[in-house]
Amino acid sequence: MNPEILGRLHNLLGDQGLRTDPLSCQTYGRDWTKTYEPAPSAIALPTSTAQVQAIIQLANQNGFKLVPSGGRTGLSGGAVAAQGELVVSLARMNKILAFHAQDRSLVCEAGVITAQLQQFAETKGLFYPVDFASAGSSQIGGNIATNAGGIKVIRYGLTRQQVLGLEIVTGKGELLKLNHGLVKNATGYDLRHLFIGSEGTLGIITQATLQLLRAPENLTVLVLGVPEFAALMQILQRFQANLDLTAFEFFSDRALHYVVQDKGLAKPFVTPAPYYALLEFENDSAQREQAALQAFQDCIEQGFVLDGVMSQSQTQAKNLWRLREMISETIAVYTPYKNDLSVRVSLVAEFLKAVDQIVTERYAAFEVIWYGHIGDGNLHLNILKPATMDKAEFFEHCAAVNEQVFVLTQSLQGSISAEHGVGLLKRDYLAYSRSAEEIAYMRALKTLFDPHWVLNPNKLLSIDTSSL
Amino acid sequence: MKILVAIKRVLDYSVKVRVKTDHSDVDLANAKMSMNPFCEIAVEEAVRLKEAGVASEIIVVSIGSKAVQETIRSAMAMGADRGIWIDSGEAALSPLTIAQLLAKVVQAEQPSVVLLGKQAIDSDDNQTGQMLAALCDYPQATFASKVTIADSKATVVREVDGGLQTLQLALPLVVTTDLRLNEPRYVKLPDIMKAKKKPLDTQTPESLGVSLNNSVKMIKVEPPSERKAGIMVPDVDALINSLKNQAKVL
Ligand SMILES: Cc1cc2nc3c(=O)[nH]c(=O)nc-3n(C[C@H](O)[C@H](O)[C@H](O)COP(=O)(O)OP(=O)(O)OC[C@H]3O[C@@H](n4cnc5c(N)ncnc54)[C@H](O)[C@@H]3O)c2cc1C
Ligand SMILES: Cc1cc2nc3c(=O)[nH]c(=O)nc-3n(C[C@H](O)[C@H](O)[C@H](O)COP(=O)(O)OP(=O)(O)OC[C@H]3O[C@@H](n4cnc5c(N)ncnc54)[C@H](O)[C@@H]3O)c2cc1C
Repeated sequence: MNPEILGRLHNLLGDQGLRTDPLSCQTYGRDWTKTYEPAPSAIALPTSTAQVQAIIQLANQNGFKLVPSGGRTGLSGGAVAAQGELVVSLARMNKILAFHAQDRSLVCEAGVITAQLQQFAETKGLFYPVDFASAGSSQIGGNIATNAGGIKVIRYGLTRQQVLGLEIVTGKGELLKLNHGLVKNATGYDLRHLFIGSEGTLGIITQATLQLLRAPENLTVLVLGVPEFAALMQILQRFQANLDLTAFEFFSDRALHYVVQDKGLAKPFVTPAPYYALLEFENDSAQREQAALQAFQDCIEQGFVLDGVMSQSQTQAKNLWRLREMISETIAVYTPYKNDLSVRVSLVAEFLKAVDQIVTERYAAFEVIWYGHIGDGNLHLNILKPATMDKAEFFEHCAAVNEQVFVLTQSLQGSISAEHGVGLLKRDYLAYSRSAEEIAYMRALKTLFDPHWVLNPNKLLSIDTSSL
Repeated sequence: MKILVAIKRVLDYSVKVRVKTDHSDVDLANAKMSMNPFCEIAVEEAVRLKEAGVASEIIVVSIGSKAVQETIRSAMAMGADRGIWIDSGEAALSPLTIAQLLAKVVQAEQPSVVLLGKQAIDSDDNQTGQMLAALCDYPQATFASKVTIADSKATVVREVDGGLQTLQLALPLVVTTDLRLNEPRYVKLPDIMKAKKKPLDTQTPESLGVSLNNSVKMIKVEPPSERKAGIMVPDVDALINSLKNQAKVL
């Protein structure tokens, strides 16, 4: 980046607000996908919306590109700066600004860590429901930009369902305050929803108003052994007839094997099972518990379940959750090739079987680890790199498998990225899930809010210079 | 051989403890309660002894209000055969009173082994097992990390300061459990259903002939002082500097 612009950024942001040292560039230049070599020009760490606005205006005037950056836990390369972009990290905009008890909502800056938000809600006797294994590092801005889902979607919805208001600086440099925390607002296009899930391509989120909820009571976890894919959705249906589940997750025995081996966690039970389902519900009365036990009994009788345990304390519930939540982190050392797919819940069993067949037929030598938020129709397919195989060769093999898996996903009108976004990783596969007309509208919206494509260019949509 | 296990219902280990605004006690309103982790270990040990064919019957006993029945059911789901609930209402009980109540149960049941947690994570007294052994005039092995019972003798490895001590004791005896004794199992759903049908007997301090005269009074509860927030340092030099001059650990 030219020194004159760097100087202006320095004047704007001060010593603490601008970094160019190699360590910072390495750290802030990448997200959880470790496949891209980070190469940002510098890191900007603004402390106010006004500074964000000034940075975006400067980028528009001088033609440099920006990468909005949150907790960098993203799994699609959305926060990667590999092309000399300026990273705009919201890490220092991390204050909770207001709490409205009657509205049961709060206003915070975009850099607040998800877990901090959850803890804040807890101190108010309330609950912020969006949760997943990276909540200790991800930021609310990043969550909104990816419309993050996680483990409680089945009951509380995605991040989108919690957002009552947004403050945005668009790619053009204009400030928008959207929806002002209102529950109802029938005054035309709800622009707020365009920015949720926009992966930093339309604007930088600087503040959000979020809905808080009643804290659930006595969350109780079941882990069930399941004999085959098809039984998973039968279990879901049987339990949902009796209860409002707050989570329905699944993982394969291979996934469990790794967390037990590498994290020293205890297996839930010794009965062998190829798959496991993890269910959670509010065990707030004896009747509710009875309903869960009854559903379990029916599942056993129908042969959907082999065995099962139920947490007797919050500590046990936490430990059972760790079996599921530690998977991603545990298998990270085996350089997994990750896919995050979804289909309608009723098609999950068929889909799982077909994908499994593709992978075992074509890549018998690769180890496949399955897990996911299966109650939402969301599957995480992970293929582990054989220790002896070169990384590049491995990813090449996996890319070939991708084509087949994506064609299958498309034929079931599923999504090639259920909750991790598109970023760099899935950009060239977008057409498997979105029609040409949809993509054309998306490009038009991008150009409308960010006419010079300064924000996250080449993420989600590739730059087509003819459209500028 | 009969084993008696005493269990206590306490604030769940994973719950953040809050102190009442008037500092009179810990705030338990709407807080999640569950079995004291050391008691869970005691139940697990009893179940393992039964599975190994050493014990033939496991009885769990808990003292408190109606809610402790839930904790007893939990222990029965883990594998205990029957339960005794001593209904003491909401009264605050000191370790001595509890030991007196338990001694009456020991007298009636005549178990060969009495298992207790070494302490409860709420009041942290670490007294009940010892007092019970004294009242019953039984030998005691506290802080157990390994229990072997054979030929009418118990061999117990104890965790003591800076090492391990191995004791051999005659039955009947009192054992209190330490953390490393075992890792309690998860409870299976069919066993939860079975536990609902296991016998649960109710007693009261009156029926056992113990009067609840509490000689210990809690005066004040104070939360620990808050940890100071960490600071970020820009580089290694600054880190060494602050370790030397601010933290004074170098
Ligand atoms: C172990 C693990 C488990 C995970 N589990 C889940 C899960 O269950 N569900 C799920 O949905 N995701 C999951 N993720 C993915 C990830 O944590 C989420 O997508 C999260 O929302 C990303 O937030 P972040 O702050 O880290 O964003 P980053 O990775 O920093 O950025 C993500 C995207 O948002 C943009 N962005 C960030 N901040 C802003 C802002 N203020 N304004 C505009 N754009 C911005 C970035 O440019 C990028 O495109 C998981 C990740 C890991 C590592
Ligand atoms: C007694 C009464 C009570 C009401 N209570 C409520 C209430 O509690 N909450 C509330 O939200 N509303 C309420 N309304 C308003 C109204 O009923 C709702 O807005 C309803 O959704 C309108 O549906 P409609 O089919 O009658 O639409 P119309 O009145 O026919 O049209 C409404 C708008 O939608 C457009 N439109 C209609 N059909 C289509 C289509 N297929 N594609 C694209 N655009 C279309 C029309 O062009 C128009 O702009 C109430 C109305 C009455 C008379």
